[in-house]
Amino acid sequence: MVIITLQRNKCIGCNYCVEMAPQQFQMSKKDGKTVLLYGQEKKGFFTLKSNDYAILDACENAAKACPVNIISVKNK
Amino acid sequence: MQHIELMAPAGNFESLQAALDNGANSVYFGVEQLNMRARATVNFTLDDLPEIAKRCEAKNVRTYLTLNTIIYDHDLSIVKTLIKQAKAANITAVIAMDQAVIAMARAHGMEVHISTQINVTNIETVKFYALFADTMVLSRELSLRQVKSITEAIEKEQIKGPSGHLVEIEIFGHGALCMAVSGKCYMSLHSANSSANRGACKQNCRKKYTVIDQDTGFEMELDNEYIMSPKDLCTIDFLDEIVDAGIKVLKIEGRGRAPEYVAKVIKCYRDAIDSVGNGTYDKDKVIGWMQELEKVYNRGFWSGYYLGQKLGEWSNGSGSHATQKKVYIGKGTHFYPKAQIGEFKIEAFDVTVGDTILVTGPTTGAQEMKVEELMANDVKSEKGSKGDMVTMPLKFRIRPSDKLYKIVENKVEA
Repeated sequence: MVIITLQRNKCIGCNYCVEMAPQQFQMSKKDGKTVLLYGQEKKGFFTLKSNDYAILDACENAAKACPVNIISVKNK
Repeated sequence: MQHIELMAPAGNFESLQAALDNGANSVYFGVEQLNMRARATVNFTLDDLPEIAKRCEAKNVRTYLTLNTIIYDHDLSIVKTLIKQAKAANITAVIAMDQAVIAMARAHGMEVHISTQINVTNIETVKFYALFADTMVLSRELSLRQVKSITEAIEKEQIKGPSGHLVEIEIFGHGALCMAVSGKCYMSLHSANSSANRGACKQNCRKKYTVIDQDTGFEMELDNEYIMSPKDLCTIDFLDEIVDAGIKVLKIEGRGRAPEYVAKVIKCYRDAIDSVGNGTYDKDKVIGWMQELEKVYNRGFWSGYYLGQKLGEWSNGSGSHATQKKVYIGKGTHFYPKAQIGEFKIEAFDVTVGDTILVTGPTTGAQEMKVEELMANDVKSEKGSKGDMVTMPLKFRIRPSDKLYKIVENKVEA
């Protein structure tokens, strides 16, 4: 299973994750921060668990590109 | 002499209070992510705006919201929200770079200041931005002669901002400079994917580098490996010339700095500006201020580009050259207002009579004093050690959870 986590409050809105993984991330027009699509929120952390391994590469690239290191991707 | 506005950085409430207590005329700060210190662990939030405005209004201090990153389409809504809330909270002005921010601020009747990120370097650009802004920060690379020529032309040609007053010119007075032209740097973006222009500068210019010609393998001989890390700007030793250049606002850099840094630097520059004003500015005072300024974080000082000579003063270390540092020793637990006595719990090291202590907190700001007497666990003593409850007479009020530090000499690496 692929587990993607986003610590959203620290986002600076640079848009890189959207460039890397547009299927999983989208910029919010409301507060200018990124949104992890279909993510579940718990105490400010958004998590998406998926069995679709096709998203893994793109999400790992997004995590690598994030300048404030708030995206983590685990493959369990 | 004309009035010079001393503008202080406020990265959090501690620094804000330190600026207010030490004589700043205005403060600038960022809220949420759209400012040049977005990476900072502490930033104000939208909800802090009324409190910032309240504290500053009580001291008649002007408040400037930095909104000076580059702006993308997805930011437009939050920009609007920030401007609206700033206006509602009675914040004095926004500091802007992007034309979208300038236009939106004007549309909401908010005063606009032009950020140094715009790199204003000539009078025609001043005229252009005078359509929107009352205050402009000039490019940091101008000489004082060039600055003066701009301020004189504003006067002569009567260039006025939207408020109907003459455009005011602001320059940087003290603090970090970077290798790029007025902050327009792509090094952090290209090397670490972390854009300085979105407030996420990694400061990789501050590291050691070697320069090698890849064709020949020849290594360029450099007497200093910190080839991209300029020393910090300091203008206190020629502040009379700065004032003479006709500027209205002197900006102190350092939203990422500690509150005691803000306290020390603002205090020195306040004193220096007032001394120029009343004709008592002299060499002896300068020596005193320089010694004070060297105590807090610095990379060594130079005069920037203002005096038009000696280009490229590079730092010779990665960290600070400060002659003093703070060591955490405990926290505030109680204050007895009638007796003016503060109680602290010592959690590390010790505190001795004669030590210089520093107390910081969101309301306390950054207060420094020498310990003249103390009691450890209710017994008069020379020293309080780890685990002790220590009380001492204070010249200022403290709050529970304020942090207590002791100031010690810092051995500077050669």
